[in-house]
Amino acid sequence: MKHRSDLAFSTSQRALLYTASLLVPAAARDEWRREWLAELWHVRRSCISIDDTFSLEAQREITSFCLGAFPDAFCLRNQPVQTGTPPAHVHGSAGQTLLWLAAVASICSVIASLLPGVQAEKEAARAQVRSNVLLIGDADSNSSTASIPTGLFRQWKTSHQRFFEDLAFYRVSRERATVGAVSMPWKVAHSTTNLFALLGLSINLADLDYADPNIPALILSRKVWIRDFRGDARVIGSTLNVEGTAVRIAGIAPSGSWQLPGAPDAWLLESDRKIASEAISKRSGYLFAALSRRGLDEWTGPAVSIAARDSQDFVMDLYGAPIAMPVAGPWSVYEFALFLAFLALPAVTSVSLGESQISSHRPTAKQRVWRILFLFAKLALIAAIGFYASLDIAYFSTPEYSPFAECLQLLACFAICLIGFRWAVADQRQRCPMCLRRVTNPATVGLASRTFLGWNGTEMICIGGHALLHVPSLPTSWFSGQRWLYLDSSWEFLFADPFVR
Amino acid sequence: MAAEAKLSHTAAMILQAISAGYVYGFSIMEMTGLPSGTVYPAMRRLERDELIRSQWERQAIADAEQRPPRKYYKLTNGGKATLEASRKRYPLLERLISTEEARSV
Repeated sequence: MKHRSDLAFSTSQRALLYTASLLVPAAARDEWRREWLAELWHVRRSCISIDDTFSLEAQREITSFCLGAFPDAFCLRNQPVQTGTPPAHVHGSAGQTLLWLAAVASICSVIASLLPGVQAEKEAARAQVRSNVLLIGDADSNSSTASIPTGLFRQWKTSHQRFFEDLAFYRVSRERATVGAVSMPWKVAHSTTNLFALLGLSINLADLDYADPNIPALILSRKVWIRDFRGDARVIGSTLNVEGTAVRIAGIAPSGSWQLPGAPDAWLLESDRKIASEAISKRSGYLFAALSRRGLDEWTGPAVSIAARDSQDFVMDLYGAPIAMPVAGPWSVYEFALFLAFLALPAVTSVSLGESQISSHRPTAKQRVWRILFLFAKLALIAAIGFYASLDIAYFSTPEYSPFAECLQLLACFAICLIGFRWAVADQRQRCPMCLRRVTNPATVGLASRTFLGWNGTEMICIGGHALLHVPSLPTSWFSGQRWLYLDSSWEFLFADPFVR
Repeated sequence: MAAEAKLSHTAAMILQAISAGYVYGFSIMEMTGLPSGTVYPAMRRLERDELIRSQWERQAIADAEQRPPRKYYKLTNGGKATLEASRKRYPLLERLISTEEARSV
């Protein structure tokens, strides 16, 4: 009876050989495995004693023999490389093409996964500003200008509002932020604490529950977080100085904050009382109002005019407009670009695959299915490259979502998909319908006949001897496009490569 | 011949072992004392350079002896010529692995 450890060793030694065989080219794998298993049988018989007693030394010797299979497998694997050129059956094959495309798609997807802007766009599509929030501004100035005096905010905040259920405000000023010995000029938004809650942008407010309530909380914009802190999440909770005042970083602004006017680098959350303090009451800022149920009922158009009185009892003409801008997200942009690319494809190339109807030796149904599957696989991989590469291009230097980057993504995706699809169709036309290998070997190179009676084209032959591709140099009414001429089996003996089927 | 000039001592030993009658991988390993990770890749290269050629044993013979068939190697004419040249280059080669020794195994 065999020792249980011996069985375990035997299994693991065979597993080693099977693993090594995966490195051997598929065409030679079976024979290689057969040889090594036969040798293993003899090695075991030589090393293990007749009475089958278990010996660790013998097992070590056998395992060492099996490990030698790996250099052997590598040697076989590298042999075609050492000859300088890949074998004919590999060069230009369908598998090689798909591998290249898959490799490019993988690289692009890895790069996209590392770009913070790509993640920000996905988040921006998910987290959007509430639709009932209005940005209130002066009717004579545009929405990006701070036009509401702090005093007006204080006045509205302290009085009863019929149409608004809550108000938030911030004013932006240029201030110096100091981290350690480094001083940075920032646009700091002095904001009410309810700003992000009113906008409906989720932020981890638990971070605000730090020990010292006298230190104000600072929310960093994504741009500053990545630019000045290299996207390090550990900065949350640390303190820094803003114009000599100690503040604590309480979190990172949500992706939807790109819509907030004034492009602040950070939001310093302060109490309403401090915001509306006398010393700064004449400075202007941005006012946000969440419509109450009654306000929503009264609201009819895209913008609303508001007449208000300031602290000196002057009448102010204001307007209110929603700031929520729908973000399509990467998938919606991609789907639209893909649709446009498919729509534009017939304009840049013929979608015909150059099929010939006049030959008696046509590919089998299986070969035709493989051909179509190969074309769809190429198109799918190119579409994947278009998705990831366009994200890479759009967000390579942009760490947060922006409408410009989204536009760039749309253009890049459209261009990549259109050029890629054009290449895929052109490549398909040049591939032998039988073996899907690129037909690159010229059999005849012709010039246009002066009389138009002679053959005036170029003939390319498949490396496996399956077909000839006739390409007219001068398209005529009787021979305008390329044609395949399938060769019968009598040609097979001329083509020695056994891998070409 | 370029192949003759490039033949290493290890490859020459393997050629000599095959010439002496050690015609499968494990016996060459035992004779030369080289590990499997050296012997088999070297034999692949020798076969690629057409100095040796391999042949599978007939299944009937292996079945009669109740063991798996093994792959045997033998020298080609080019291999024989290369081995002759290597013997001149490595005079001790023939004494390391002699034909008589193989016959007695």
